[in-house]
Amino acid sequence: MTKPKVAFFDFACCEGCQLQIANLEEAVIDLLGVVDLVSFREVMKEHSDDYDIAFIEGCIQRPMDAEALKKIRENASIIVAYGACAVDGSVHTLRNEFTKEDVLNEVYGDADVEGNPYWDIYDKAKPIDEVVKVDVYIPGCPIDRDEFARIVSDVLQGKAPKLPNYAICVECKKNENICLFELGEFCLGPITRAGCNSACPNVKSGCEGCRGFLDDPRTSAHKEVLEKYGVSVDEMMAAFSIFQYGKEGS
Amino acid sequence: MQVMSKSDWLSFVDRLIREDPSEIVGVKSKGPKFVFDELDSAEELRLDYDVTILPPKKYFLPVYEDMMKYDLTSAFSVDKMVDIPPRIVIGVHPYDLVAMEQMDKVYLGDTTDELYKARREKTLIIASDILNVSEDSFAGSMGTNVSGSGYDLLVTDLGDSVAVDVGSEKGGSLLSSYANAGAADDSVEARVAGLREGVASGYSKSVDVDKADWPGLLTNNHEHSVWEEKSDKCLECGSCTLVCPTCYCFDVNDTAALNLESGVRTRTWDGCMMRDFSLVGGGEVFREGIKERYQHRIYRKGMYIPERYGFTACVGCGRCVSACLPDIADPSDVMNKLVTSSMGVPKPLPIPEAAPAAEGLAMVPRPATIVRTETMTEKEKLFEIKLDDGMPLGHGPGQFVEISIFGVGEAPISVSSAPGGDTFEIVVRKVGDVTGKLHGMDAGDKIGIRGPLGTGFDAEALKGKNLLFIAGGLGVVPMRSLFNHVLRNRADYGEVTILYGCKDPSELLFGSEVKDWEGRDDLVHKFTVDACPEGEEWEHNVGVVGTLIPQVQFDPNDTTAIVVGPPIMYRFVIRDLKEAGIPDENIIVSLERRMECGIGKCGHCQINGVYVCKEGPVFNYADMKDLPEAF
Repeated sequence: MTKPKVAFFDFACCEGCQLQIANLEEAVIDLLGVVDLVSFREVMKEHSDDYDIAFIEGCIQRPMDAEALKKIRENASIIVAYGACAVDGSVHTLRNEFTKEDVLNEVYGDADVEGNPYWDIYDKAKPIDEVVKVDVYIPGCPIDRDEFARIVSDVLQGKAPKLPNYAICVECKKNENICLFELGEFCLGPITRAGCNSACPNVKSGCEGCRGFLDDPRTSAHKEVLEKYGVSVDEMMAAFSIFQYGKEGS
Repeated sequence: MQVMSKSDWLSFVDRLIREDPSEIVGVKSKGPKFVFDELDSAEELRLDYDVTILPPKKYFLPVYEDMMKYDLTSAFSVDKMVDIPPRIVIGVHPYDLVAMEQMDKVYLGDTTDELYKARREKTLIIASDILNVSEDSFAGSMGTNVSGSGYDLLVTDLGDSVAVDVGSEKGGSLLSSYANAGAADDSVEARVAGLREGVASGYSKSVDVDKADWPGLLTNNHEHSVWEEKSDKCLECGSCTLVCPTCYCFDVNDTAALNLESGVRTRTWDGCMMRDFSLVGGGEVFREGIKERYQHRIYRKGMYIPERYGFTACVGCGRCVSACLPDIADPSDVMNKLVTSSMGVPKPLPIPEAAPAAEGLAMVPRPATIVRTETMTEKEKLFEIKLDDGMPLGHGPGQFVEISIFGVGEAPISVSSAPGGDTFEIVVRKVGDVTGKLHGMDAGDKIGIRGPLGTGFDAEALKGKNLLFIAGGLGVVPMRSLFNHVLRNRADYGEVTILYGCKDPSELLFGSEVKDWEGRDDLVHKFTVDACPEGEEWEHNVGVVGTLIPQVQFDPNDTTAIVVGPPIMYRFVIRDLKEAGIPDENIIVSLERRMECGIGKCGHCQINGVYVCKEGPVFNYADMKDLPEAF
């Protein structure tokens, strides 16, 4: 069997998800045994445009990025969007309520960026699937390494990868955590898609919803719970906004 | 009863930790709560706990359990995972003992779960009397605040001393090996009795319905307003089922390592409150509504399990009450809201009297080889399969097998060939991962087989009867196992009529066999398609399969109809058969759900309280027609 050729790309992001992959350590060696890595800026110098599977990190802010992404789509038979930025735009969408002029002015002040393609940004930040068709999603900020390994092994076996469609609470209970609501904390776990092994609640930090909502989140029931536990609307909105700005249900 | 001083008790526990080869776990504090966890010293043990976050079931049915390991570089290589270390669990409360005894009946009953059995046998239970009552518990009114069985030792912490009751030989020898205990006198026994009385009167919560009355009350209150009131607030987080000591459903997943050389098949806790619990390969969720899911959980506790096993699947521990953020999970509150309602008599579950033999039904598949394949349509492919041990499958008509492809998973597939022969046939539509992988396989490839599973058609009972077969779409696949048997033993049966419909002519299955029927004068057959696209040839009827019923002659009072097809077909065909005058009990159906474990444990295939994988997939319509989830 010929090894599938694999390439990694990044757009607007912190590249933290790539770091998660590099940190897979022994599993990376396993992965390299079954794929042919042709491009991965964070770990290698070589680059090739001949690949079957493209892993995309980051969201699309500029027309030049969209063009680059479309090229990748033409080359690859499978596109994997990994990390919250690629999957749903994540924190980048926080700028979407401002005009792009205000955003550029806020960040670059009087600097002359007019006409320079590097500063030519869209009105709104776009997740990958607003520009090209995405075949596989791996959510999270950052991605969960075990989930990444599972999904990649599924893709390599020709199996359709599935994300859990149940709440973080399921993993939290399996880990025998004390519910953060009982400790007076705020948590988006009840409406957020599991798959991170309840990473944040495991260390007594409330879920901020980086993995996105469930397919059919019980948001009204969740709001009633927030009210019951005395969480203020401001606190609630602030927590929602980090990863779920402007999303349905928030 | 024996007794030891408090310091001797602490020494006993410390000696177990230091000297006994078993892993010693007990109740420890975790913030303001309690958990069962490994003990480093007797000091950590908190017999004064009220309730633990998770019940001790995690030691017998672990949260995640590797069931088998496989090697993907060879054709078929699997290792059962049975390396289970001995363990002593200290501090189990009586309500959890009751729950464990219930779980034993399920997992050690008609089909023994090998992993559960191994864990159970290697675990010694040192139970503890309740000292502090959880504010969410109603064990007092469930009669589970004390238990006379299920333990190896039962200790009662009396403050200055600890009383011990020996429940088993193993417990007795543990005590004599490690503890300095003497016979207890009447005063100790009186103090233990006094402590238990104090606990019994310490419950602030109670359920006002005797548990024997739960099934009757639930029977008559399926439409009560309580279901909607509660389920509207449900977060669907699944917490209530996950923390429950009597919930035992699970999900099975295959994960291959990134090197694609090895993998594990793992099971993990699952629960009926989660939406995808009843999701099938084709994408349909059979228990679609939140209200129905909420009802299922309570009905299972109060009606389905009592009918099947004879006990109420709630021990009043109150864990679900504590875990539920919107405060709706409490079974006692539901029953107390129904208490003034009228009672009914539950209809017995259609459980076959003699359960099928448990031979070869373990979770580990047997190796088998594909000996022949035949592409039937664009989507369907036939596989002839032979078990590698040379044994025939030994199936009856209408039974199914679990097809296993390591690294991908398992899928329930009906056997399509008639009983007998060294090989058997399945016809598979490409819809999911397993079936997709299978479609890429050919003669010589290895797969795993579990089964035959389930209850099929009773070919003996049908002898001498006039038979009206009605198949829609893929329904012809399991039905073929019966009608080929009937045609082979034609003299044993009365008149035979076969009505077969599919979407369009390209989807017609078993075309060459169907042609052979033309020459037979001992059966009537009619075909139909929902629609015939232009340019395709079709000389038979056009319309849904029900339109064929008026076209054939049969005596409605002396004919058994056998109906197999997609869910929507049942509604219409059964209506048509009733109109034609066939009594309900003369209608046989085969239903499809998510049969995952195939042995009536994982819970996914349930239609109300009925396990399709065990009692079905073949049912008498009269047994199932009143179940809201059936049709």
